[in-house]
Amino acid sequence: MTSSKNFSITVRAWRQAGPREPGKMVSYGVKDVSPNMSFLEMLDVLNDELLKKGEPPIAFESDCREGICGCCGLVVNGDVHGPDEHSTVCQLHMRRFRDGDVVTVEPWRVKSFPVLKDLVVDRGALDRIIQAGGFVSINTGAAPDANSIPVEKDRAEEAMDAAACIGCGACVASCPNGAAMLFTGAKISQLALLPQGGPERARRALEMVAAMDKEGFGNCTNEYECEAVCPKDVKVANIARMNREFLLANLVSKR
Amino acid sequence: MDITFLKRFITTSIGRKAVMAVSGLLLGGFMVVHLAENLLLFRGEAAYNGWVDLLLSNPVTPFLEVGLLFIFIAHIITGVWVRIEDFLNAPRGYEARKWQGGRTIGSATMLYTAAAILAYLAYHLLTFRFVDHSMGFYQMVTAAFRNPAFVTIYIAGSAALALHLSHGMQSAFQTLGLTHPKYTPFIKLGGLLTAVSMLGFALISVYFLLNIDLKTAEAGYQVTVIR
Repeated sequence: MTSSKNFSITVRAWRQAGPREPGKMVSYGVKDVSPNMSFLEMLDVLNDELLKKGEPPIAFESDCREGICGCCGLVVNGDVHGPDEHSTVCQLHMRRFRDGDVVTVEPWRVKSFPVLKDLVVDRGALDRIIQAGGFVSINTGAAPDANSIPVEKDRAEEAMDAAACIGCGACVASCPNGAAMLFTGAKISQLALLPQGGPERARRALEMVAAMDKEGFGNCTNEYECEAVCPKDVKVANIARMNREFLLANLVSKR
Repeated sequence: MDITFLKRFITTSIGRKAVMAVSGLLLGGFMVVHLAENLLLFRGEAAYNGWVDLLLSNPVTPFLEVGLLFIFIAHIITGVWVRIEDFLNAPRGYEARKWQGGRTIGSATMLYTAAAILAYLAYHLLTFRFVDHSMGFYQMVTAAFRNPAFVTIYIAGSAALALHLSHGMQSAFQTLGLTHPKYTPFIKLGGLLTAVSMLGFALISVYFLLNIDLKTAEAGYQVTVIR
């Protein structure tokens, strides 16, 4: 890996001590930033400096740091998950910045995702949508034979594309209306496309959409900002499939 | 006859949008028919008034008019409802926010074009629908099109409609779940063509405006605009 010279930047980060505390943007100088650092590593370096000075570090969420877990999520200079297309913010590297840059770092600002501390938000609302029906109820027992339920290759691929959703909430954070339709659409699609999801299809669509509405997410106005920022490139066709599942469920359901 | 399921349907985010989508598609269809009717203005007075007479002599027409009104009201109520909820739930407080290319001018201005269309519709009804029609429909319309102020408002109305439909038509299909890689490109193209065709209304008015201007220049007399 080629490494060029280290540089200095200014980080303007959202600081908020707790869920009910008022927050504000605070500027910090970060020296000796290596272009090979990831964005989160740069924040680690900044936090080390803050700890040495006896100041509270900037709280932010991360786990795998390889773009597959869905933990991280920051708005960097107005870009959800940073300036790189279809990537999580942990995959953003400091080589995207220049010496003297002022970098604004904000949390998801969504009504249904209250800020817990600094850049950490509570995305429990997405979990509650899953709890409403994002599963299949099957009796456990001996593992079934592999390939005992045939799945067409194309359908399996489509289901996998929907299942690629890591639940980071970027779709909600980027939506002009704060809608969670891409997330819910992906989670309904991944099961609707497979035979295992068949028996509970109608109930699932009704329950998950009801849970989504209850959490206070906005309505979809089909502006497709979500698709543009999704780190897993989940397509809005999944929203259309959810709409279809929901409308058909209403036609056939006894409720 | 239990309507609980209907109440539940209309109060869900997707059910409400489905009503908005279906009513929107019906209104879009009406606008295309309306444009086709107006194109008869090019065929002259007899053709245009003949069609209007046929339409008004049909006993079903008043019912269709009431139906259209209900579709319109359904579209407005669901649209306003969606927008109020979206306003309340929109992410707020980003210091810097960049749109990532999903939005279009049409999609970002839906609320404004909707307001413009509603205002224009009120004006349209006041100038064409709830007036004395004794001079004949062709005369009434062409007289209005000789008034530059009227034509300006008419062009603005057509433009707002075109912009509204540029997002609305394809959006309605997405809301109803009618998307597929094999036909979505045709839906998008069809929606765009429908939107562009709305500028046909503006073209008709400009045609009549310029026509009279040429004649005025030729003959050198003052034209009285019949109101």
